[in-house]
Formats: sequence, structure tokens, C-alpha cells
Amino acid sequence: MQVFFQTIIGGVSLGAIYALVALGFSLVYRTMGLVNFAHGNVVTVGAYLASTFYLTAKLPFAVAMVVAIVVTAAIGLVIERVLRPLENRDFDLMLIGTIGFGIVLDALVIMIWGATGRAVPSPVQTAPLSLFGLRIRTYDLVVLAIAAVATVLLVLFLSRTKRGAAMQAVAMDHEAATAVGIHVGRSNAIAFMIGAGLAALAGGLVGPLLYVNPALGGTLGIKGFAAAILGGFGSIPGAIVGGLAIGILDSFTAGHFQGYSELVTFLVFTVIIMIRPTGVFGERTVNRA
Amino acid sequence: MARSRPLYALAVLALVLAGCSAPGSDKKDSASDTGPIKIALVDAQSGQLSSLGAWELKGAKLAVTEWNAQGGINGRQIQLDVFDDQGDPTTGTNLARKIQSEGYLAMIGTAESAVTIAMAPTLKTAEIPNITSGQSPGLVAVGSEFLFLNGPTSTTYDETLAKYIVDQQGIKSIAMITNNGSYGKGEHDAFTKALAKRSVTPVADQVVTTDQKDFSAALTSIRQKNPKLIFLGAEEVESGLIVKQARDLGITAPFAGGAPQGTPVFLNTAGAKNVEGTIVSSPYLSNDISPASKKFADAYKAAYNEDAELHGAKAYDGTQIMLTALKTSNVATGKALADAIRATKYQGLLGGFAYDNTGVGIFATSIGKIENGKLVAATG
Amino acid sequence: MRYRIAALAVIAVAAWLLPYGLDSYAIHVVNIILIFSILAVGLGLCMGIGGQVNLAQVAFFGVGAYATAILTTKAGWGFWVSAVLAVAATVVMGLLVGTPALRVQSHYLGIVTLGLALAFTNWVTNAQIAGGAEGISAIPVPTIPGVDLSSEYLYYYLELIIFAVTLAFGLFIVRTALGRRMRAMRDDALAAGSLGAEVPVLRMTAFLLASIYGGIAGVLYAGLIRYVAPESFSIANMFLLLAMVIIGGRQSLVGCVAGAVVLYLVRELLVDYPTAAQIGYGSVVVLVVVFAPTGLAGLPPRIRQALRRRRGGAGEAARLGEFRPYEAVEAAAGDEPILVADAISMHFRGLKALDDVSLSVDPGEIRGIVGPNGSGKTTLFNVISGLYRPTRGRVRFRGRDATGLAPYRLARAGMSRTFQNLRLFGDLTVEENVLVALDRHATWQSWRYVGRPISVLRRDRDLHRRAGEVLDRYGLREFAALPPKSLPYGIQRRVEIARAMAAAPALLLLDEPAAGLNGEEVRQLSEIVRSIRDSGVTVIVIEHNMGLVMSLCERITVLASGKVIAEGLPAEVAQNPAVIEAYLGDSMSSDDLPTLPEVAR
Repeated sequence: MQVFFQTIIGGVSLGAIYALVALGFSLVYRTMGLVNFAHGNVVTVGAYLASTFYLTAKLPFAVAMVVAIVVTAAIGLVIERVLRPLENRDFDLMLIGTIGFGIVLDALVIMIWGATGRAVPSPVQTAPLSLFGLRIRTYDLVVLAIAAVATVLLVLFLSRTKRGAAMQAVAMDHEAATAVGIHVGRSNAIAFMIGAGLAALAGGLVGPLLYVNPALGGTLGIKGFAAAILGGFGSIPGAIVGGLAIGILDSFTAGHFQGYSELVTFLVFTVIIMIRPTGVFGERTVNRA
Repeated sequence: MARSRPLYALAVLALVLAGCSAPGSDKKDSASDTGPIKIALVDAQSGQLSSLGAWELKGAKLAVTEWNAQGGINGRQIQLDVFDDQGDPTTGTNLARKIQSEGYLAMIGTAESAVTIAMAPTLKTAEIPNITSGQSPGLVAVGSEFLFLNGPTSTTYDETLAKYIVDQQGIKSIAMITNNGSYGKGEHDAFTKALAKRSVTPVADQVVTTDQKDFSAALTSIRQKNPKLIFLGAEEVESGLIVKQARDLGITAPFAGGAPQGTPVFLNTAGAKNVEGTIVSSPYLSNDISPASKKFADAYKAAYNEDAELHGAKAYDGTQIMLTALKTSNVATGKALADAIRATKYQGLLGGFAYDNTGVGIFATSIGKIENGKLVAATG
Repeated sequence: MRYRIAALAVIAVAAWLLPYGLDSYAIHVVNIILIFSILAVGLGLCMGIGGQVNLAQVAFFGVGAYATAILTTKAGWGFWVSAVLAVAATVVMGLLVGTPALRVQSHYLGIVTLGLALAFTNWVTNAQIAGGAEGISAIPVPTIPGVDLSSEYLYYYLELIIFAVTLAFGLFIVRTALGRRMRAMRDDALAAGSLGAEVPVLRMTAFLLASIYGGIAGVLYAGLIRYVAPESFSIANMFLLLAMVIIGGRQSLVGCVAGAVVLYLVRELLVDYPTAAQIGYGSVVVLVVVFAPTGLAGLPPRIRQALRRRRGGAGEAARLGEFRPYEAVEAAAGDEPILVADAISMHFRGLKALDDVSLSVDPGEIRGIVGPNGSGKTTLFNVISGLYRPTRGRVRFRGRDATGLAPYRLARAGMSRTFQNLRLFGDLTVEENVLVALDRHATWQSWRYVGRPISVLRRDRDLHRRAGEVLDRYGLREFAALPPKSLPYGIQRRVEIARAMAAAPALLLLDEPAAGLNGEEVRQLSEIVRSIRDSGVTVIVIEHNMGLVMSLCERITVLASGKVIAEGLPAEVAQNPAVIEAYLGDSMSSDDLPTLPEVAR
């Protein structure tokens, strides 16, 4: 029983990170119809920036995070400009185009920061909480709280602000939004900026949990994308549920199937997708005839 | 006729390809007695394993620079060229052919055993000696007289470790956590064997994947067994994560493992406090274990502005052996060079090298312990 | 034709002589390029021709190579026996990986196949039988009596022959019935299904082909490198393969080969400059995708087009010919209705699109279905033609229960339809659009491609002849080789009707066939529809153009808010108060008002 609950706790902690990554995927997809496979690489960039500001520039962790998010979001604007011709293209082109861009980002990361990576000490030094023999890291709680706050802020932004409402409109109907005078280009740029910011948030937060190296974003990207699909691609609550689900699924298969965990994770994932092709909170509109 | 154009293009391409390379261009130009001595360094410089490749390159380059500063070998400079295998065995086979046809005398690398094994048959046929950084038993199983290891095999590491833990310390309650990569698998098998020899059965035997990030399930099971010591078989970063998460889960038992657990990357990833008491079986305990290692570490720091570590030291030793053999054999090639390497007795950073027929040159590691955030030789 | 044969001969000779100019490194690279070319052709068939995203091609490659390795080293079987079994194993894997394609497409299929590819790598890393992380070495050299295949020069000829055969086979598929059907499905799966293409079977066929090519490439790899390890089949190699196919040009197999050759050479040339190579390789991919989405294969046509534009004067424009009416036949005296919809309800998340709709159409009738926008007309068509399974109610077609039958089954039973907003296969020519509909063979009969290729060719020639007849009848002969998107709207409408009729239906469903047509075109349309009916085909028309409906239809069914509010002769319906109420109550534009009966007939 203890193993069971401890496994869930471990899964939730990484699941929160997957959820943030998935959120970026979904937000960009719903607004601009772009499946951005370079998202994982943006996470790497964010992680490196956050660790640089924290370790090299010796800023407090929170400040370093904010600066990293802002800088990554700004980089996101540049990326959006490069990827703009791919928006609303057919999937094959988007797939390989964004992968190609991700390869360039990776190479740039290696050029700037080297290939060997760095460890980021945890900013929260408090000892883990102990409850009924279960151990909960305080930093995990911080990550969960930040992920929750970020989600709430995003939802509020989308539903309560004019700019957010405009983005929702673009998400629902590209042409109608243009017709009523919404600047689609700007709306897309903002969506991408927020997506990049979320990637930096995920990367920055995961730094102290893992090890920052050029390969960091690859795994997070694939798991994050799977999470977004599992929850229902383009859905905000879906990204959260999907992220936590993938995290927990991963932890359990690791416990039960040891070395074969990845095999089992993806088989289970495939079966779920086949049973419920549109994910938990599936896309509502079915385009037919 | 429109559809035939791509075909024309292909035909032209084929002709161009045929035209570019002169027939029989397998030139062995460096076998001539002038010009620089060409040595190839093959390692992943991009992709997942690029960090290993980067360390190796630094160590090997340092050795070559030293030799060149002293005038090279027989008045000839040494030219070290880097090739990126991307951690991909297929690319490795291409590179094996490439260094053969471009006349390289010898090869340093790779750090990935799968790539090295893929390259071995070609290098054997081409008679190009290769000093690799791998340590997996699979490399020895290849049985090529041109393949040499620049460090001990897992068997040596783990035999030494088991001897210290079980025989000297009398610890019998041991849990294992290893990954399923070639390094972790080798460690798992070697350590299990070493334990079996002492009739010790591990209380837990958890296998994780090389990509795994969350180890709560495996570690919680280990915690329930309450072992006295946990054997760890994984590369630096993953080992660091495992130790960090274990401490967060309240596991207090010390860890023990091979060389990766003595490196700064491991120490930093896990956090200095968490690795206290870790037992390490390594041929290269730290940068200040001997005058030679101090000198190496200073030169390394001066050249790259970062602290030297095990992989760089191994590559440095391997390159030194290669260059020494070249010197003693008067820049021999092929079989003669391989024999020269086998005959080389070299006192390196890792210890005394003397190769046997399996291509392994060093059979001893020392036991170290991390105390106060530093790896020191274990006492008793 | 003579040029083409000459070109092929030149290529064949050049390929045959190639090894004489190469050193051992170059021949090795060429050998690997050939293997990647076979893989790329397989991926091209699956993604480019079949439209099925397949990120597991590298896993098919791996299964082929690993199965060969395991069977030769562990079971001790001969290389060629193992090779055949390895390809069989790959096909099984291909069908397994392809199964999700029956349910999901596009990015969903992408992540699922990618996940399964990762699962494969994970399995071989762990499994004892696959040698674990260290892989399997010392795979025996394949043997051919009298030929020493351990020499890479001789191995090249083995690969060359297999490559030529597989490429030729791929081109054979693409240019005949099976490939056409797959391309139609890629362009528009719904339309292809409603023309009788068995979409599920075709999707599996795409994966089947991909896996056969992957398996063959894997066998050749095992024989060449004689060592397999999990890293050889990594995701990075999958992306490389994908880049080859996209850069070469997905829709052309020769393009895929060109992409494999070019990209591999570029990568090999840049191998000494790792970081620069990565930036270069990534940028090339992005640039090609942005500026040349059709890849290398798309360049020659684009250049030709640009040249022609510069020269000006696009020759004489193609003209639309006269419609040649069908021969009238006596209506078969059947008193049983051809189509019965019985109390159909269709709900979408609480929205009642159709509510208890019943309808009965007699053979030889032209039935009109009218109603304000959003009244459920197209939904009714979608239920009848099998796109939707109704929430409640039954559909009977030609006396048999047809509720929720797959569209392709209905199509094969004799139902054909057009779509409100035109669903022509955009990347096929007008003639090919018609050919897809004409082809009534079951896809499973594609075994003939291997067993009786001559019969495939003969059948294809026959199809072309019949397509010519259809195009002649509809006056579309001069548009035969053009892509439909380049045609005026009215002509596209006519192509769609010609295509629907080429399927030789008993019941034709027309969804707003007059939308966007001018007066003359509407007149021609009504002539065409009457002739179709006279040839013995029953027609159901959804239309907003009341003049057309009143003049054309024998009976009219009126829908409003998902319910049938009136049915009868045109004159009766136009005076029905409920109908007038429905139209006026709805804020419709004036041309939606039923025109008064005096206009009719």
C-alpha cells in the first residue's frame, strides 16, 4: 500500500511538469493550428536560461524563473515568425518542419552551453514531509502549486480579458475572427509567446528535479505531447488531466514492469487512444461532409 | 516525357558519383614516412550521448597537444581528427570505412559500446588498432586483437567492490538498482556474479530504464526491504537522480557503485549532502590522488576552464598508450602497432596498464568513499 | 517513350558500373543509402500515397533486422529462410501498428506510432533473446552459390537488384488501381469511402506495404552490417527518414529515393563538423518545408510551370463539351421503394439534428429535399449514406437493412453521392477522379499485384477506356489531365456528378448540386439529372434553388428543425401553410422562399 501511494506521489510530481508542457502544446495548437514538435526543445532552452540566471547570475530562484520566462517568451516571438508559414499546413509538413527547427535549437543550445549539462540545486531546502510513512518533497508541492496557479491564470486570461477572448475566437473560427476584426497574426504571436513561457516554466521548474542537459527536452516533449493527446488535444483541462495521468502511468509501469516500463506505457497509451480517439476532453467539432 | 526528368537527374548523379572518386582510391598515404600521423577520434558529438563524447575529446586532445608540444613522434606532428558517430551504430560503420580509406593509423573511442562493437569487424579487417572507453564485457566478447579498453571491465570494478563490501565490511543485506542500458546491464551481471560467488543474494533487484526520471516505485520497494547498502549501476546523471530521490524518500543506507558514482556530475546532481558515505570502485578516485593526476587536472583546467573527471582521464590514458606505442614501434601500422600496444607497459592516471590477449590492460580499481563531499581512498 | 527507355538504360549501366569508381568507404555508404532508399520508398507509400502518418517505419526496419539476426544466430537457420520469416514477422508488426489507424489519424496516429516505435526499442533493449543493450553480433554472411557476399562490392549488386525490383513494384502500385485508390483516400477519405473505396482495408494496406519495405531493408541491413543494436533503430533515425521523404517529395517514390540519396550524402559530407551539420541539416529541412512543400520531386514541374508562364500564352484553354444524354431505359417495374428511412433521429450532444424523420423513395423517382438552413437536410444525407450512425431509427436500401453500414459498403450496394462543398480528390487529375469511382474491384484482390501483374495492367487499360467514355459523355474530355482545383466552379460540380455516376449507382444523392452555378449551368444540370433518372437511376436532391426543385422533382420532402413538415407534389408542398410558416418564420433570404407554382414546369 505504501508503495502504491508513494508511486502516485512520484508520478504526480513529474505529471505536473508534463501537464505544463502539454498546456503549451495545446494552447498553441488550439489557437494557431500548429503542432509544434520543437516545443520540447523550447523547454530545454527555458531550462538552460533559468539555470543560467539562477546559478551564473546568482539571482534568487523565483526572479531567475521570471526572467527566464520573459526571455523565452521573447525568443518564442522570433520562433513564431520562423514557423509562421507552417501554421495550418498539413500535418506531415508541420511535423518534419518543426522537428527540423527543434534540431537547430538543440545545436544552438550545445553551441552556447556545451554538451555536458549541469545540475541545479533545489531552491527549497526544507526536508520532505512525512505522512503515514509517505514522503512528500516540499519542492514537489511548490511545483504543483505553481502549475495550478499558472493554469488558473491562463484560464482567467482566456475567459476574462479581451485579448484572451480574441484568442478563443481565433481558436474557434479562424476566418470568422478575421471578419470581426481580430488581428489573427497578433493573437497567434501571443499564443506562441505564452506557450514558450509555459515551456520555460516547465523547464525551469524541472531543472532542480532532474539534470539540465541538451537531451532534457526530448523526453519531456514526447511525454508532454502524449499527455496533451491523452487529455484531448487543444483542451486546457485535458492537458492537466493528461499530464498527471501520463506521470502516474509512467510511475506505475516503472514499478511493475521494471525495464519494460516504456513498452507497457506506450501500449496502454495506444489502447486508450483507440478506445477514446479524441482523448478525455476531446475536440468537440467533428468536421464531416 | 515529363516523368523521365527525375530519372535523368539520377543518371547524372550516378555518373558524377562515379566520376568523383578515382578507381582504387584506398590510399594508405599516412603509411608513408612523412607528414602528420593521423589518428581518428570517433565519439558522439551530437545527440543524447554527446556529453561523453565531449569529455573524451577533451582528454584525448590534451594528450595529443602535450606530445606535439614536445615535437611529436620521430619529428612528425600528430593530427587528431574528430568524427561524430551520433551514437548511431550504422554511422559508426560508415566512419570505420572512412577512417580506413582516409588512411588513419589508429582510432580513439568510442564511448558507446554498441557503436564500438559495430565498428570492430571493419577495423579488424582494416587492421586499425582502436582504444575504446567502453567497459562492457561485450567488447571483450568481440575477440578482436585490434580492440583495446582504456580502463578495467565491469567484472574488475564489481569484484573489487564486492570484496570490500562483503568480505571486509561484512555487509550482506544488499539491494540493487541498475538500468537496462549496456553499462547498467554489465554492472548488474558482474555484481550479481560477484555476490553469488560469496553466496549472497540481493534483497531487492530493481531494473530501471535509461530514460526514466521518477524512481519512487523502485526505491519504495527497496526501502521496505531495509537493506544495509544499495548497489547502483547507472550512468552519472541517472545515478545522481536515484540517490537524490532515495534520500527524499527517507532511505539512509549508503550507495555503492562503479566509476560514475565518483564523478563531480554525480555529486552535483544528487547534492553533496546526499552522497555522503557512497562507496566507489574506481581506477580514478579524484584529481588529487597522485602527482600525475594533479598535473593532468591542472592542464585540463587551464585548457578548458572546467574540472577534469574520469572520462577525460580515461581518454587521456588511452591516447597516451596509443602514442607511446607509436613511438616505441617507430610509427608502425596495423598488426605491428597492435602488438606494440600490447607490449606497452604504461603507468597512467588510472594505474599500471599491461594488456593481455583480450584487450584489457588494467585489472585493478581502488575503493573510495565520499566524505565531506570529496571522494577519498577508503580506509580499512 | 523511347527517351525513357534510353534514360533507364543509361541509369542501369551507370548503376552497374558504379562500384568500379568507388573505394571501400564510398561503396559502404552507397550500400547504406540503398537500404535507406528502400525504407524511404516504403514510408513514401504509407505517408505520401496512403496518407497514413507512420513514425514506426524505423521499428519495421528494426524488426526485419532483429528477426534475421535472432533466427540466424540463435536458431541457427539459414540466412534466406530467416530473411523470409523476418519479412513475415515485420508484416505482422506492421498490421499491429496499423490497427490504430482504423480509429485515429493525423497527429493522433503520429504519437501512437511513435510510441509503438519507442516500445519496440525498449523491448529489444531488455529482451535476452535480442541481446539486450549490446545487441547481436556475428550475424552470418548471406550465401549465394558462387558469389562472395562478404565483399561489399558484390553485396552492392544484390542490394541494387532488390532496390530496383522494390522501386519498380512501388511505382507499379502507385500508377495503377490500388495506388490511385490510396491516393484518393489520402486526399479525402470520406469521398473515397462514399465511392466504394474500403478505407479500413486501404489503411491497413498502407501499413502492410510500409512494413514489407521496412522488413526487406532490415534483412539487407542485417546482412550488410552483421550487427544489430537498439541504437540503430532510434528515433533520430526515424526523423532522418521522415526528412528524406518530405525533402524528396512525399507523393513521388522517385522523389523519396532522391531525398534519401541527397540527405544521406549531405549528412555524410558534414560528419566532420557535428554542430554545424546539425544546424545545416535542421535549417535545410525547415527551408524545404516552407519554400518547397512538394520537395525535390516538385521542383521540375514548378520550374517548367514558371518557364511556361514566362513564355506566356498558355496555349488554347480547355473547353467544356456538350453533355451526351444516357440512353433511356424502361423503368424496372418494382413497387418496392428503393430507399426507406424509418423514424430516424440523430442527436449531437443534446442537439437534435434529426427528430423522427421518415421517408420513402420509389425507384425511378426524382425526390427533392428542401428546408431552411440548419433543418437537417445534409445530416439526413449523411445518415443515409452511412457517414453517421443514427441515434434511433432504421434505413433500408434496396430492401435490405442498411443502418450504420460503412459508406463503402453502401457504395458497393449501389448508392452514390455528391457533397455540398465539393469533395474532389485535389491531387488527382479529373480522369483519375473518375477512375477511382469506376474501379469496383475489392481491395483484397490486390494480391494480383504479386501473383498476376499482367491482369492488373489489363484491367487498368480497360478502366482507362471506360473513364474516357464517361468523360466524353459529360463533355469533360479536355480536362482529363488537369487537377480539379484549377477548374471553374461549375465544371468542378459537373466533374463530381460524373464521378458519382461513374460508380454506376442505383441511387444518386445530390447535395445542393446547383449551388454557385449560373443560369445556363443550372439548365444543363437539370438536363443531366433528368437524363440520369431516365437511365434508370433514382435521384434524391437537396437544393435551395426552388425553381430547379419545382421543375425537376416529382415529389418534395420539406424538413424544418429536423422534422418532416410536409411531403407531396411540388404544387401541394408550395401551398402548405406549415411550409410557408417555416420559411417565413426563419429569417431567410428571399431566394429561399418557395417560388409559386405557376413558375414550375
